[in-house]
Amino acid sequence: MSHPPLTRLAAAALLVVMAALPALAAAPVNEDTVREIGTELRCVVCQNLSVADSPSETANQMRAIIRERLAAGETPEQVKAYFVEKYGLWILLSPPKQGFNLLVWIVPFVGLGLGLVLVAFTVRRWSRRPAAVPAGIPEMDAATRDRIHREMADIDRS
Amino acid sequence: MTPELGYAATVVAFGLALYGSIASAVAGRTGRTALVQSSERAAVGVWILVTGCMLLLVYAFLTFDFSVRYVAINTNRGTPFYYRITALWGALEGSIILWTWMLALYTLIVVVQYRRRHPEFYPWVLSAMMGIAAFFLLVMTIPAPPFERLTPVPPDGRGLNPLLQDSGMITHPVALYLGFTGFTVPFAFAIAALATGRIGDEWITITRRWTVIAWYFLALGLLIGGWWSYHVLGWGGYWAWDPVENAAVLPWLTGTALLHSVMIQERRRMLKIWNLTLVILTFSLTIFGTFLTRSGIIGSVHAFSQGSIGAFFLGFLALVLLTSFSLLAWRMDRLKAQGELDSIFSRESVFLLNNVFLVAAAFTVFFGTIFPLLSEAVRGVKVSVGAPFFNLVNIPLFLGLLILMGVGPLIAWRRASADNLRRNFLMPTAVGVAAAVIARALGIANSLVLLCIAAVVFVTGTIVLDFLRAVRARRRSGDGWAAATLGLLRRQNRRYGGFVVHLGILVVALGVAGSNAWSLHTETTLGRGESVELGGYRVRFDGLRASEESNHFKVTGTFTVSNGVGSRDVLYPAKKYYAQEQNPIAYVDYRLGLIEDVYLVLGDFARDGSQATIKLQVNRMVSWLWLGGLVLTLGTGLAILPDRKKAA
Repeated sequence: MSHPPLTRLAAAALLVVMAALPALAAAPVNEDTVREIGTELRCVVCQNLSVADSPSETANQMRAIIRERLAAGETPEQVKAYFVEKYGLWILLSPPKQGFNLLVWIVPFVGLGLGLVLVAFTVRRWSRRPAAVPAGIPEMDAATRDRIHREMADIDRS
Repeated sequence: MTPELGYAATVVAFGLALYGSIASAVAGRTGRTALVQSSERAAVGVWILVTGCMLLLVYAFLTFDFSVRYVAINTNRGTPFYYRITALWGALEGSIILWTWMLALYTLIVVVQYRRRHPEFYPWVLSAMMGIAAFFLLVMTIPAPPFERLTPVPPDGRGLNPLLQDSGMITHPVALYLGFTGFTVPFAFAIAALATGRIGDEWITITRRWTVIAWYFLALGLLIGGWWSYHVLGWGGYWAWDPVENAAVLPWLTGTALLHSVMIQERRRMLKIWNLTLVILTFSLTIFGTFLTRSGIIGSVHAFSQGSIGAFFLGFLALVLLTSFSLLAWRMDRLKAQGELDSIFSRESVFLLNNVFLVAAAFTVFFGTIFPLLSEAVRGVKVSVGAPFFNLVNIPLFLGLLILMGVGPLIAWRRASADNLRRNFLMPTAVGVAAAVIARALGIANSLVLLCIAAVVFVTGTIVLDFLRAVRARRRSGDGWAAATLGLLRRQNRRYGGFVVHLGILVVALGVAGSNAWSLHTETTLGRGESVELGGYRVRFDGLRASEESNHFKVTGTFTVSNGVGSRDVLYPAKKYYAQEQNPIAYVDYRLGLIEDVYLVLGDFARDGSQATIKLQVNRMVSWLWLGGLVLTLGTGLAILPDRKKAA
């Protein structure tokens, strides 16, 4: 899995960012918050891993940036916004729910809804029709029919 | 010599496959048996030639024949013996050979099995399968030739991607491709059914085992892929919703839907069009998956124009869809069946719901996977659609499917009486709810995990209840416990094989829920002799050592792991430096357990060995995924046993 040029560029950009970061005094930062932010960001040199999960050095450095920015008093949103500004929306593992990107959040549910409606429709249509009796076969009285159904159901169950 | 020989074999095989496909189609229309026999011979010829290609390429790998470009890129003189063989499918060109070879093999099996059966279908099945083989051979000839010559011949090769130098990479692609190509058989029979107009249930009866086998191998391939991801990539997870993974799970989802919906057709003669649609979709998704992962389009839509492989696959996909759905439309009048449903409380409607959920999950994965392409093409903005999205949308669907898994097999066909519902579901529901309540009392607060536990216990309850009842019924006819159980499994192997597969899925589901909810992580820098504690384990850093391996340089850390009980173990996570890779590769060390794994990754370190950063994880219940795979295997084995009547 060689890295596409974009990720290499991203990695280079990261080094610049690192150098530009002021030395911050270490304040206690909640590691869970770091992880939480990390799960929403993409590790820039990896295939498809989050910053929280990736074992790569780049992800390690990105976690360090998250830690430092949190320590400097930024909110998780500000930290994420910082990464978006540096790398573009691509850095977020799921696109924000607005504008064109709203599509990806809505369409699956629309699809599911349509599927359910289709099934409901089919079920209604099938249920409404009177049970068809195949042509050419003599009529069968209701009691016999029911008995056959019952016995077939019993066979299914065993 | 090798490149020319291989290329020649590919071209001849392509010609044979194309001829076979056309000849057997003509035979299908005219009934000329001589043509069928001729294309059978062509099928055998294709298999022999593709086998020859594969052996030739293996030979080139083993002898370091760097005049073959593919060999030069994917191996070097340091590559260990086994990986020189598996390097065969280490990249695009070789994996296309593997695919083609398996397809040729399946064709051969179809020839052997069905030569004297189903004379109406057989020529069309042969035609479809060889047509598909012809496409892959065309890919091997033009856009992705594995035997391309490299001049001048380099003294050494570049080397196989280090991440692929792992036992998982020996088995994962083989299983996955057996699954992918396996769906060609039911697809070919569906095409034959449409072409001949015999659109009854015959094709479904014939292909049921094939579908189960393809489904199983795909599941196995996915699980092995998860195992590879878990123990090689060093991130402590097994599923990342990577486009490559999504591409493989898509046909698995629609294939699962197919396995269930064919039962309605077998039993009730309904859903004929839907089943044909599903088999066409499933096969198309296997092609789409290859297109997605092999065209480079995932990296960027612009990669699409760089190679012609994408265009080949997209063109073929369009051809497959167009042909299949035209055939379907042509036969529509014969396919229209009188649907008949007596009640919403029936197995039919549960299966319909199962299909909606599975197809909706597939659609979600599909849309999420292609959305970045859409965004880039429409707006020129690159976005990522990853785990947070897929989890949010799919988890409810999968939980719903789990519950349906308990309801479907036991609710009566046609109309479930109140008695049927009470008899089969009252106890399991009670036990499921009770399990969730107990779990809550034990301190499990995650509502998704609670739901999952309730669903799993409910489904297990339904299966156990049903099985016990059936065994008891047999015991009444005089069998002992063992005889009754075995007799039941043997006589109703299909039903209980399905149940065992369901149990396997439940075990996997628990593994997924548990590992996501309860795993622990920490990341820390240790000086030599210092230790860190996590989840009752104490890990001490004892030092580093460097070594020169056959094809890489390796820095290994030594860490002593002890738990409260006093057992001690030493883990050796490492970093491997390969000449052909920019970044070092993390080599994870771990101890697997039924309940939890200790998982250690070496990060940065001081060159003098005085300090090392580690990523330590206690991963809970991940082993249940692999156990679930084992149960799936048993269930599938049971489900595809030959029918008793035929065996006797």
